[in-house]
Amino acid sequence: MPFQSISHSRIRMLIIASVFLMAVFVVRLFYLQIIEHSKYSILADAEQVKRLTIPATRGEIYMEDNGTPVKVVLNETVYTMFVDPKIITDPEAVKDVIRAVAGGNAVDGFAKLVDKKETRYQVVAKNVTRRQAELIKKKELAGIGFQAVVRRVYPEGTLAAQTLGFVNYDQKGQYGIEGRFDKQLRGKDGMLQSVTDVSNVPLTIGNRNVNIPAQNGANIVLTLDRNVQAYTEKALSDGLRKIGATDGSVIVMDPNDGSVLAMANLPTYNPSKFTKVTNASAFNNAVVSDPYEPGSVVKTFTVATGINTNTITPQSTYVNTDYITIDDRTITNATKGQTGTISIQHALTWSLNTGMVTVAQRLGGGTINRQARNTMYSYFHDRFHLGQMTGIETTGEVPGELIPPTAVEGNAVRYSNMSFGQGMNPTMVQVAAGFSSLINGGTYYYPTIIKGNLNDDGDIVPAEQKKPQENVISASTSATMRTMILKARREFYAGNDRKGYDIGGKTGTSQDIVNGEYTFDETTGTYIGFGGDTKPKYVIMVRVSSKGRALNGGDHALPIFTDISNWMIDYLKLQPKG
Amino acid sequence: MSYYSSTTYARRRTGMTRGYNSVAFTSSVKLGPVTHTVLVALMITVLGLIYLTQATKATSYDYEAQKIETKIAELSTEKTDLEVENARLTALDSVRNSSVARAMTSPGAPQHVSQ
Repeated sequence: MPFQSISHSRIRMLIIASVFLMAVFVVRLFYLQIIEHSKYSILADAEQVKRLTIPATRGEIYMEDNGTPVKVVLNETVYTMFVDPKIITDPEAVKDVIRAVAGGNAVDGFAKLVDKKETRYQVVAKNVTRRQAELIKKKELAGIGFQAVVRRVYPEGTLAAQTLGFVNYDQKGQYGIEGRFDKQLRGKDGMLQSVTDVSNVPLTIGNRNVNIPAQNGANIVLTLDRNVQAYTEKALSDGLRKIGATDGSVIVMDPNDGSVLAMANLPTYNPSKFTKVTNASAFNNAVVSDPYEPGSVVKTFTVATGINTNTITPQSTYVNTDYITIDDRTITNATKGQTGTISIQHALTWSLNTGMVTVAQRLGGGTINRQARNTMYSYFHDRFHLGQMTGIETTGEVPGELIPPTAVEGNAVRYSNMSFGQGMNPTMVQVAAGFSSLINGGTYYYPTIIKGNLNDDGDIVPAEQKKPQENVISASTSATMRTMILKARREFYAGNDRKGYDIGGKTGTSQDIVNGEYTFDETTGTYIGFGGDTKPKYVIMVRVSSKGRALNGGDHALPIFTDISNWMIDYLKLQPKG
Repeated sequence: MSYYSSTTYARRRTGMTRGYNSVAFTSSVKLGPVTHTVLVALMITVLGLIYLTQATKATSYDYEAQKIETKIAELSTEKTDLEVENARLTALDSVRNSSVARAMTSPGAPQHVSQ
């Protein structure tokens, strides 16, 4: 009996101890899993659940090449090579491999950085290619690491630099298409939230995994033709070199739909080396952002206004004395000697200011009154869209300036000057688009550089274009203008033109403002013209200038036009007449 | 303390009523409470093992998927590199400065035949 009693007592104690122990576990588990649930849940999530950003790929930019889109801006993954000097076991081998493989991508003084044993992170090479990185990894040296970086690549170098723009170190588009369409090109990053293992491999356990795919940026196709752009830049560069000028711009347009085929500016820069630019004006696309007095090229607009309002015809005459007085100002012709009774065609061909002032006077019945000024403004501003934004899809476009007749400055003297292209500040793209409407049958097409987006199937989804403004001048006025402009060129400047084609154009020379005053010592030369076979196929506008140089349209801008025009005839495979 | 197992079937009385068919089920195995507990524990263990097997299998697919995704990313990077290389090699400057282009001569003005 005593033995049984002791045995039962021990069992009871064991049971009690076990139950107590179990109770301790239960209480502790209850505390951890129920009361402290949220705390440990958060801690566990922080340890196990990772939120990873799925970066969107920046959209690429294409130009046309004989109707086929070609990439002119791409993305490339490069690597920043770093070392942990503390864990490097063979510093000399590391230095050798950097020297031999990374080569020019190594940072200055990398050997000293490798030896900095007291540090844990030193960048020793930048922009290392994948192939270089793989070669270095094969050496299996301790203490070397790589960090992938996506950079923008511009394989065509300086081609259309101001139109394309660049992407800065914050991955933000600057200037041109990169700047204007930064949001569309950038796309939208995706997100992956998942339980991961120690190697950050996402696991499909848990019910809170989130996978939002990245939306890659849009691939934009430009209307610019790579070949036209390249030749235009070459012709501009050659032309400026021949005349010893420094600054120049050219725009080439299709007058039948407003698409810009080329926009070139000098000086220029390489978008992949944008940090080396010392003068920020090189970033600006002067074609859209630098308004100026275009000079006599505007005479074509004045004559078109006169003809379309039935005020004049090409054969209308006036008495030219080389001088004409408006209020208290006397306006003279740059070219003198064509005095007597002459036609408006003659005045246009010889670029006589008096002829254009006469047209402006006739718009008002004999004086440049309010009616004349209203008519001129209505045509120049509302129909030819001078002095207002065209809406071309790039950064930096400015409206320029066209003083309305309602303004105090919009007086008769101002409008007499405007009739031959002074006292107004349109941009080149405005003049080229307006000029296109003069010779294409009378339709104003808003200039555009966006053809559309390239979808995943490789097809172009056309961009929505602004509705053109029809009948800015009548078709007959346009036909008359084509003939007049052809005659203006053939009289003096057609010697180097391809025979059998219709090529017309108009010179322009304007004084620059130096120290607040107009000067003849520094002038800007302009030439605008068109070319084609049965109808105009291209419009080219050239502008040249140089500090302290008196440049003019006929001698300095025109040869560049002729060079591009003759090349365009071959490129577009135009058939000669006859 | 006496214990009556629920799995212990009392033998039915035979010859209850004339003409009344009856079948008797009698288990010869008698399971005690410990056996029951062990069986339940074993079943839970088996279920747990099945769950673990499935979970491990699913996780192994994750690693497979990760490997494939890594491969896709590598191939994609390689493709991009090749595209960049192609763009560089076919850039107008590269073409212009190529040995083939240097060996070319400038064309003369084309002659057109009128029909």
